Amino acid sequence: MTDNTDLTVNIAGIKMQNPVMVASGTFGFGNEYKNFYDINKLGALVTKGLTLMPKAGNPPPRIHETPAGVLNSVGLENPGVEQFIAKEWPCLSKLKIPVIANISGDTVEDYYKIAKQLSTLENLAALEVNISCPNVEKGGLAFGQEPESASEVIKAVREATRLPIIAKLSPNVSHIQKIAEAVVSAGADAISLINTLLGMAIDIHSMGPVFCRKFAGLSGPAVKPVALRMVWEVYEAVSVPIIGMGGITTWQDAVEFILAGATAVAVGTANFVNPIAPIEIIEGLKTYLYLKETNLHDLIGAAH
Amino acid sequence: MSTPAALFANITQNTQIAPDIYLMEIEAEIAEAAQPGQFLHIRCSDTFAPLLRRPISISDADKKTGKVEIIYRVIGQGTHLLCQKRPGDRLDIIGPLGRGFPMPEEGKTSIIIGGGIGVAPLLYLAKQIAKDHKNGHLPLTFLGFATKQEAFGIDFLSSLGIKATICTDDGTLGYKGFPTTLFKEHLNQYQDKSNLIIYACGPKPLLSSIKDIAAGEHITAYLSLEERMACGVGACLGCSVKSSQAGYKKVCKDGPVFEAGEIELE
Repeated sequence: MTDNTDLTVNIAGIKMQNPVMVASGTFGFGNEYKNFYDINKLGALVTKGLTLMPKAGNPPPRIHETPAGVLNSVGLENPGVEQFIAKEWPCLSKLKIPVIANISGDTVEDYYKIAKQLSTLENLAALEVNISCPNVEKGGLAFGQEPESASEVIKAVREATRLPIIAKLSPNVSHIQKIAEAVVSAGADAISLINTLLGMAIDIHSMGPVFCRKFAGLSGPAVKPVALRMVWEVYEAVSVPIIGMGGITTWQDAVEFILAGATAVAVGTANFVNPIAPIEIIEGLKTYLYLKETNLHDLIGAAH
Repeated sequence: MSTPAALFANITQNTQIAPDIYLMEIEAEIAEAAQPGQFLHIRCSDTFAPLLRRPISISDADKKTGKVEIIYRVIGQGTHLLCQKRPGDRLDIIGPLGRGFPMPEEGKTSIIIGGGIGVAPLLYLAKQIAKDHKNGHLPLTFLGFATKQEAFGIDFLSSLGIKATICTDDGTLGYKGFPTTLFKEHLNQYQDKSNLIIYACGPKPLLSSIKDIAAGEHITAYLSLEERMACGVGACLGCSVKSSQAGYKKVCKDGPVFEAGEIELE
């Protein structure tokens, strides 16, 4: 009976069969999780972050476990946009679900160029513009911390593409609403948040930072309350759809984010713990809506 | 490479075999697919403490009985929870994962070198090489442990007809010293070393030493690496090791077994 439940959502023209996506950097280019379930059951897939040129990423260690969380310092390791188009896209483009490319740049011009290049791909559903990566030297987080620079990046991407633009925001800011307003006026069609929280760990034996870059990005259940609060704030500030993420592990977490104002949610770190988490969340959502005798659209932001 | 599965396996045994070292046996259909050098990614807790799975190498697998064994050292929160599990409990696993040891080609002489808990995956490898008797030789095996009490796997190897050369850091069992020293001495007896193939797993200094010897003597060597992992399947890019070409390789997917020349060990 719950199979008839309507879970479809439309985010700035991206038509999804359900609101459960997988977060960038936790799902590679989709190949790794095909062994565990049919990934065509997802709402959408967001690729590993892409840059104009290939990026080797940061030296190990890149991972450090924390209470109910993980610090990572991967550093946007990726094959670069050209290799992505040649090697990964042929397989990704055959999926039946929307595929969203996550992009990063060292400069505003980088974002423009990569957006332009990806816009040539038929079937690509959208661009998620990462202005919030804490693990790289240049660009990344720096763009997302001020309304002016955030706006500049989104404007450049807007010029380069007609694809829907999702601006991925950082939680490492004082006034998330100002950043959200800035990216929307610059042309963003949707907002995704949060990227990882800036954190660190110290090795008490070597008496130095665990990570070469000292600071790293915290994700996992530990960050969920922060993410939820920020989705709530952004929902009150802008009218574009929000994709909520940050520590979502169960369907109950997903429902909280939707009640806070998210139209869709993304599962990140939970993929590492429970590879079928996204599927369990989709099923749980259906049952919840059925038992509550409500529909997804009435749920969005209902807690306000 | 075999296709990994995510499943719950029934625990049939979980016994301490040395101080802080346990042998766990599970029933899982993956016994059929599991290759020496591959690992299981195990969720040790139902809660978020700890959050991540723990990669543990497979120390034996039997297609006929459908049993898979792991040997692990209790180090932190995850392995501490693991050692408290009892026969009849369910174990949340993903596996078999990773690229294992390639079997020696016909006519090669296999040499196995292991240290400490790194001996675990080598036991399954030794068994497969011994079973695969067309090579004519049982693997020559050098194992090192901190002390006599911590030694394990020796009886298992004996049952296969393999008489391992044992050494301990404190000399309480076998020779006093490192397995790499004994191996180096042993190497002198070969005029032609091109026929040898080395398999090693253990602490970083052991692996570095084997890598250097293999490079110097032009011997093919396969090293099994250990690294902190998140996903275990190649998606998160967390468990990187420096490639000898450019960039990094993923220990979980490109390894954990690497040809020594593929990677840099600092």
